[in-house]
Amino acid sequence: MVIFLLKRFGFMLLTMFAVSVILFLVLEINVDTLASRVLGQFTTEEQRRLWLEEHGYLRPIWVRYGEWIGDMLRGDFGWSTRFNEPVAEILWPRLVNTAILGVCVFAVMVPLSLVSGILAGMREGSATDRSITFVSVLTTSVPEFASAVLLSSVFVFALGWLPGTSGMTDGWDWRQMVLPVMVLTLYGFGYVARMMRASMAEVMQSPYIRTAVLKGLPYRRVILRHALRNALIAPFTVIILQINWLLSGVIVVEFFFSYKGYGALLLEASLNTDIDVIQACALIAVVVAVGTQTLADIGYTYLNPRIRFT
Amino acid sequence: MYRSDLEKVHPALPGLAEGLARGRVGRRDFLRTATLLGLSAPVAYGVVGRITGTGMLPAAHAQGQRGGVLRCSMNIKDCADPAIYDWSEKGNIGRQVIEPLVMLGSDNIARPWLAEGWEASEDLKTWTFRLRRGVRWNNGDDFIADDVIANFTRWLDPATGSSNYGRFASLRGPEDGDPMLDNAVEKIDDHTVRFNLRVPDLTLPENLTDYPALIVHRRFAEDGANFVENPVGTGPFLLREFAIGETAVYEKRDPAEYWGDEVFLDGIRYIDHGDDPAASLAALASGQVDLLFRLFSIDQVPAVEGLPAMRLYQTVTAQTGVARMKVTEPPFDNPALRRAIQACMDRPVLLELGNQGYGEPAEDHHVAPIHPEYAVLPPLEQDYERAGALLAEAGYPDGLDLSIDCVAQPRWEPTTCQVIAEMLRPAGINLAVNIMPGGTYWDRWLTAPFGFTSWAHRPLGVTVLNLAYRTGVPWNETSYANPEFDRLLDQANGTLDVEARREIVAELERTLQNDAIIVQPFWRSVFTAGSDKVEGFQIHPAEEHHYYRTWLRQA
Repeated sequence: MVIFLLKRFGFMLLTMFAVSVILFLVLEINVDTLASRVLGQFTTEEQRRLWLEEHGYLRPIWVRYGEWIGDMLRGDFGWSTRFNEPVAEILWPRLVNTAILGVCVFAVMVPLSLVSGILAGMREGSATDRSITFVSVLTTSVPEFASAVLLSSVFVFALGWLPGTSGMTDGWDWRQMVLPVMVLTLYGFGYVARMMRASMAEVMQSPYIRTAVLKGLPYRRVILRHALRNALIAPFTVIILQINWLLSGVIVVEFFFSYKGYGALLLEASLNTDIDVIQACALIAVVVAVGTQTLADIGYTYLNPRIRFT
Repeated sequence: MYRSDLEKVHPALPGLAEGLARGRVGRRDFLRTATLLGLSAPVAYGVVGRITGTGMLPAAHAQGQRGGVLRCSMNIKDCADPAIYDWSEKGNIGRQVIEPLVMLGSDNIARPWLAEGWEASEDLKTWTFRLRRGVRWNNGDDFIADDVIANFTRWLDPATGSSNYGRFASLRGPEDGDPMLDNAVEKIDDHTVRFNLRVPDLTLPENLTDYPALIVHRRFAEDGANFVENPVGTGPFLLREFAIGETAVYEKRDPAEYWGDEVFLDGIRYIDHGDDPAASLAALASGQVDLLFRLFSIDQVPAVEGLPAMRLYQTVTAQTGVARMKVTEPPFDNPALRRAIQACMDRPVLLELGNQGYGEPAEDHHVAPIHPEYAVLPPLEQDYERAGALLAEAGYPDGLDLSIDCVAQPRWEPTTCQVIAEMLRPAGINLAVNIMPGGTYWDRWLTAPFGFTSWAHRPLGVTVLNLAYRTGVPWNETSYANPEFDRLLDQANGTLDVEARREIVAELERTLQNDAIIVQPFWRSVFTAGSDKVEGFQIHPAEEHHYYRTWLRQA
């Protein structure tokens, strides 16, 4: 187990290192753009060169990379040209906002999709199964940008029930959370429900369930005691990996509802070539992606003794 | 007002009034020129009324209700230094607190503001501005001549990088990089400033209305040169909170401290909803804001019309976009190629497809029909035969591949580029449209060989010509350098008589058309929308927000 953990951890670090190198190369190879961005549109080439020299941009690239990754590790994410503030000052509050959104989405999506998945998987082919399958395929195939427009045209423009944007400019307001959570839940719900259904259906066909039913246990007890415990293993991984999907989903949703979170920040930074912010956001995404992957692997191993490594 | 009174204000005014009486000078031309020469706007309106019998005094200010905070959706950018403001949004953040010497009304007419009035010498080279007395900065200081001088000194320092460097070129040496002339801005007393110009310039007061010409305190630079951290101003509001990309919050200043009429609003709040135009519209629809800065695309007009209790604001402007070619970059250093590109354009169709017909076709010389000095030239026609001949002359008998850079939003810009590309195709020119996110294009708008740049409204035609087409000015995005054009422009800048000026401008227009440095598809209307609770707001051709008379109807 220890070796497994170390292996996973080493792999995680290697991935992060590789991604950070690519990230750095992609964004910092063209220093001229950076200079004109920082100094403004009316500067001469000479001014830009002086600025680049003064800020050490003309040194060899590996020296700059070493310095940069060192700063990152110490939590110094650099300076945002768009917000004119240290990146860390903007990034952390934004991450907290996105975490709040994420928690809300999971709090709604996970119970909803697990219950629907179980109901559908208990009796494969039943009317319940068919309708739940239909709904989950439908919602999963509508991308966030489409469902956001649809839901906002219904609930904001037509019915006028919900606020149209979620900037929380007057402090926390749960009503502003409804639409973003709804859009993200709709998108993630179908996938998790389908996985749960598949896993449940598989378990329901296994010999030990048949035995349990045949020996006369109450159906309720068969489901809760015997089927569920095993059926929940596969969806667990899927749910953890949904955090990754959520990271991409929040970009669309936060931008659309102008929710001040990590996703909107990343998009705004990209639209404005705010290099330091893009780098910090991308690194966060890598950490989350690799981290959840590792967590899912470890959790899966723990839950399923059959694939436990020694 | 009698002839002798008019003469006292400026020797050219009686002649102008006579022109108005005989119908040689239009009503708008008269109002504009008369106010530029120091006649106050109400008096000018009065003169028009007496001479032509069609007085059109702006409607008397309706009595508004006090109270309430106006919430407006607008992008909030870095607004630290007013001298380098380059977006109308930045100007709006500033102008609630800091004010200009001359104010451009939503009727496109300049009015005295922090300057109470001004007189020009007959040769238009010496201008004396009388500053308003009793104006106090919100830090307690009096507003005096030193404030004005400090601003001009900063603007005309090439190191500041202010676009005012081009706007007030008549106050500095003729070469790019020259400093301000020694006695260009002269203090007569605490409330009088005299400008001594190198060349005559009619546009001095109009240029003082533009957003980088908002007047900051005389110690602005010493105190850190940061407006949002140290928001000292003369205006009726105080900046209380400011966060880029999020919000800007203003509070009404003690009315006893403010020189003008008491404002109705208790405060203003700008909220940034990001770059997705749908977000701000949704905020308006659900009552999260009362007003939008702008409807980003015409597609949103029907959506607004479908909402209850909304008001749609619209005005035709001198806002435009130009597909400009950099004359120093091959292949655009070839005039025949540039003319061939122009010859492929069908302007009414460009307007229809690019801006759904909202606006007026333009003519590749950047002077708008609403400008007073606009001269009518023969219309430009699509002519593929001519285009083919020109292409052959340019050395591309079989056509060529080109690419144009443009922003992604607002959408009319890439759409127009695509229409241009379609119109070039029959001539054998393959134009790739390279759509870039906003920030990226503005990094290279001055250097791209072929790019589509949007231009804000300017009250006078010569203003943009001075900003963008004079040799060596910072915003000269085409690198156009034509001494003859510069000479004519100087002449136009010094010509007071509207008709005489129009003749020179006709020559300028022809020169620009002939040198073929831009494809200018159309002049645009601007739109915005607000809740019907908002009263006393007028859409401004330069999208400036003046909330002096705006109030909120309370239920």
